[in-house]
Amino acid sequence: MSDGPIYTIEGITKVYRTGEVEVHALRGVDLTIDAGEFIVLLGPSGSGKSTLVNILGGLDTVTDGKVFFRDEEITAFGDGELTKYRRDHVGFVFQFYNLVPSLTARENVSLVTEIAHDPMDPGEALEIAGLPADRHNHFPAQLSGGEQQRVAIARAIAKKPEVLLCDEPTGALDSKTGIRVLEALAQVNRELDTTVLVITHNMAVGRMADRVIHFADGSVARIEQNEKREAPASIAW
Amino acid sequence: MKALDRKLLRDLLRLWAQVAAIALVMAAGVMTLVLAVGAQRSLFETREAYYERNAFADIFATATRAPNRLGDEIAALPGVASVETRITQNAILDIEGMAEPASGMLVSVPDDGEQVLNRLYLRLGRLPAPGHPDEVVVNEPFANAHGFVPGDTFGAVINGRKRDLTIVGVALSPEFIYVVTDLMPDDRRLGLVWMSQTALSAAFDLDGAFNAISVKLLRGQSPDVVIDEIDRLLEPYGGRGAHDREDQQSHAFLDSELNQLQAMSYVLPPIFLLVAGFLVNMILSRLIALEREQIGLMKAVGYTGAAVAWHYLKLVIVIALLGVLVGASAGTLLGRGLTRLYGDFFHFPFLIFRAGVDIYLIAIVVSVSAAMLGALRSVRAAAALPPAVAMRPPAPARYRQLLPDGVPLLSLLPQTTVMIGRNIVRRPLRALFTSFGMSLSVAMLVGTLFALDSVDEMIDVTFFGAERQHATLSFVHKLPAEALYEAERLPGVLAAEPARMVAARFRNGHLERRLAITGKPGDSTLSRLLDVEGHEVTMPDEGVVLTTALAGILDVGRGDTVEVELMEEHRETVLLPVSAVVESYIGLGAYMDMDALNRLMREAPSISAVHVIADASRIDELYDAVKNLPLVGSITLQRAAVEKFRETMAENLIMMVTIYVGLAGIIAFGVVYNGARIQLSEQGRELASLRVLGFTRGEVSWILLGEFALLTLLALPMGWLLGYLMAYSTAEGLATELFRLPLVIQRSTYGWASVVVLVASALSALIVRRRIDRLDLIEVLKTRE
Ligand SMILES: Nc1ncnc2c1ncn2[C@@H]1O[C@H](COP(=O)(O)OP(=O)(O)OP(=O)(O)O)[C@@H](O)[C@H]1O
Ligand SMILES: [Mg+2]
Repeated sequence: MSDGPIYTIEGITKVYRTGEVEVHALRGVDLTIDAGEFIVLLGPSGSGKSTLVNILGGLDTVTDGKVFFRDEEITAFGDGELTKYRRDHVGFVFQFYNLVPSLTARENVSLVTEIAHDPMDPGEALEIAGLPADRHNHFPAQLSGGEQQRVAIARAIAKKPEVLLCDEPTGALDSKTGIRVLEALAQVNRELDTTVLVITHNMAVGRMADRVIHFADGSVARIEQNEKREAPASIAW
Repeated sequence: MKALDRKLLRDLLRLWAQVAAIALVMAAGVMTLVLAVGAQRSLFETREAYYERNAFADIFATATRAPNRLGDEIAALPGVASVETRITQNAILDIEGMAEPASGMLVSVPDDGEQVLNRLYLRLGRLPAPGHPDEVVVNEPFANAHGFVPGDTFGAVINGRKRDLTIVGVALSPEFIYVVTDLMPDDRRLGLVWMSQTALSAAFDLDGAFNAISVKLLRGQSPDVVIDEIDRLLEPYGGRGAHDREDQQSHAFLDSELNQLQAMSYVLPPIFLLVAGFLVNMILSRLIALEREQIGLMKAVGYTGAAVAWHYLKLVIVIALLGVLVGASAGTLLGRGLTRLYGDFFHFPFLIFRAGVDIYLIAIVVSVSAAMLGALRSVRAAAALPPAVAMRPPAPARYRQLLPDGVPLLSLLPQTTVMIGRNIVRRPLRALFTSFGMSLSVAMLVGTLFALDSVDEMIDVTFFGAERQHATLSFVHKLPAEALYEAERLPGVLAAEPARMVAARFRNGHLERRLAITGKPGDSTLSRLLDVEGHEVTMPDEGVVLTTALAGILDVGRGDTVEVELMEEHRETVLLPVSAVVESYIGLGAYMDMDALNRLMREAPSISAVHVIADASRIDELYDAVKNLPLVGSITLQRAAVEKFRETMAENLIMMVTIYVGLAGIIAFGVVYNGARIQLSEQGRELASLRVLGFTRGEVSWILLGEFALLTLLALPMGWLLGYLMAYSTAEGLATELFRLPLVIQRSTYGWASVVVLVASALSALIVRRRIDRLDLIEVLKTRE
């Protein structure tokens, strides 16, 4: 929480054009995110949360405005640079896990460590994410949803990314399992000093964040600063 | 339009590229079927109609000199409809502006111009008038090659006398649809010259006699009995054995062409239909897997299993019909083109195009059946799917560990490679068949293009190993052995070697064959005998040497005895031991030591032909001399023929290679493209996820295309093996008495076949690669599969 901003977002807009219809997903967002922050994004469906996170992760382009990752303007990157950016700096966790069904849990993690600079051991990543050791050689089809999500988190953190972008990581999970997943995220943020962005529909999750950003209709409605972060275990829903 | 049909239409449009690829494979099958059957029927019908209109004879016989009354006796034989007696002889032709002598085949026409059999089809002018012995009709190709029109003249050495002949007509004949001079048809070098009977009988002292007879049989009469009768009647007059159409050169050659077309229609279409069926199977099982929920819905709202099945069957039927439409059109067009080519190569006065409606119906039935068979499994599964199950996502794919846990090898491999391995292992049958499909493409190339290697080998063995002479001078009748020295003294002759040919009939039990025995000097160096391995065989002093094909026909081997009936002045039937069996790819052959043959004939040493090696720089002098040699009846120019043959081959080669490369490319392309597209549909989500994780386009493409690269590599050796088998059966199937192909496949042929398939695969991979590059990264994050 010290090395200055990791993301500087300057007036970005995003307009989707489908035929005649224009959808303004983002209508001018300005935001600074500091390295090491734990941020929760809240907001009604369709308010543009995923769009923002996808742009930060280098998956989508802006219509207007700029996004800087440290000093580099990622909105000016081409496909090759974006790929490299994702490979080197960003970890993703998605609602639907997106694991490779033909690879075991450990192999799904190795998939990423093989192309990373200074990764941790896949087993260690799975350990941090909280997957019991006897499940490491199981295929995704042999794991529960929560276990799959923990593999996805392990896969995301194994390369020690600077940012972890999570789009509704607990969306498909029951509350107990969801809390375990959130604990894993908090641990990563704490121990590896990784900046974490979590999109959720669960207001309570906001209590474990440094800042809660409320989205509405394509822009930031308000930002809450938490005096004290609560442990995920104490969040009930 | 019903809603379901609208869905069908949209599915077809959405899947257009894959539909097109499958339809193309189907089309290739239909095309080869329609092409081969159409050309075969057209050629057959044209020949039949030509034979019918111009009364092509059924039986042909020659003799030395048979009195005309014998013609009446033969006409009176039971089963004989009509006969025509003739005089035929060879002559050397001297044509202005042509250095080498041409070979002329003189054939008589009745004085009254009323031909009963083998009637000429006059293109220009008229038949020779009886009172004008120097008037002739020549065959159209020969006339065209020299720019002859009625009124032109050329020289001929007829029975030792040089004469000037005047062309009064240009014609085609059903007997000479195809004629070979040296090795290949050469319209310039071979002239068919029709003269009046009186003129020829005067020229060859055959007053009141004939030396050739053609016989037309009554419908349904088998030729065998009549042939025996004719042989019996002609025997005292130097009869050389009658034969039916099967041994008539022009007819036999057309037969072998028809057989080739038939073989093509049996072999190629099934390959394409098999592959197409497999592709239908792949695309449909994927489509049905994707549409499980829709199928469940349809069932839930009351559609029957049969209605669901029919819906998907309609899809594959449309694909098959598209294939038939394209294939049948292409096949019809190409079939006509091929028939026209035949029209140029063979000499027909007209062409009949006949594909027949049935072949189109057959094409529809087999294509639709192949597609439906391919669809059967997945359609049955769709029909049987209970609605509740259909609405649930399919059971997750089961992957297996490639090797037991903890085996270090696996952990050394990158995970992307492990993914490839697991995908292959998960669907071993599909992987196997994909590889097999591509191997068929390799096999088709090896199995067709090997012919080029084999023909090369045949030429090498025949003309540079065995028959090494540049030219052969054949005499009108046998000459004393001293004639050799005269031949040696001809200008430009560097070496000469004699040969003696004696008409004979070979018999072993009921097996028999009419064939001249060729006598060669024991120490011959020009015309040599080679064994199966290509090593020279010295002529044994005793016994007879047979070629493998003749030995096969007579079912004898080395050490057995054959009965040989000599059929020249000295007639005798003797038993001869088979002293060796030698290889020869062109025609049948039987050889003896020349002295032994002379002894057998109880004659003073005599020769009927001389093989020569000529000095290329003095070849024109030799040609000039030969044109004025009274006793030379014909000249064969082996070396010149080989050169021309190679040229012609090179021309045909381009077309043949283009067609087969195209066809093989379609298979390889279709298999890889469809396979990769289906794989992409199955793995797209996974690959997009990997892109999100930071994998490059290249790395992600490798996961999918690497599998196909691997399967392609596996396909190559399989294809070489299958290609070898195909080449083997082709060589066996095409073997005729006139001509056999040695089975030789160069490494370069295997290599090129592989290159074609690799390129076609790479091309389809590139197209799929472009789709992988355009994967929507965000879409996959929003949805659960
Ligand atoms: N590919 C697209 N084409 C057109 N419109 C899109 C596309 N993606 C998103 N949108 C629109 O952009 C807007 C913002 O979408 P976004 O996915 O960012 O919302 P969200 O806040 O993540 O919603 P949710 O909580 O439901 O996930 C929505 O109105 C959506 O319909
Ligand atoms: Mg969202």
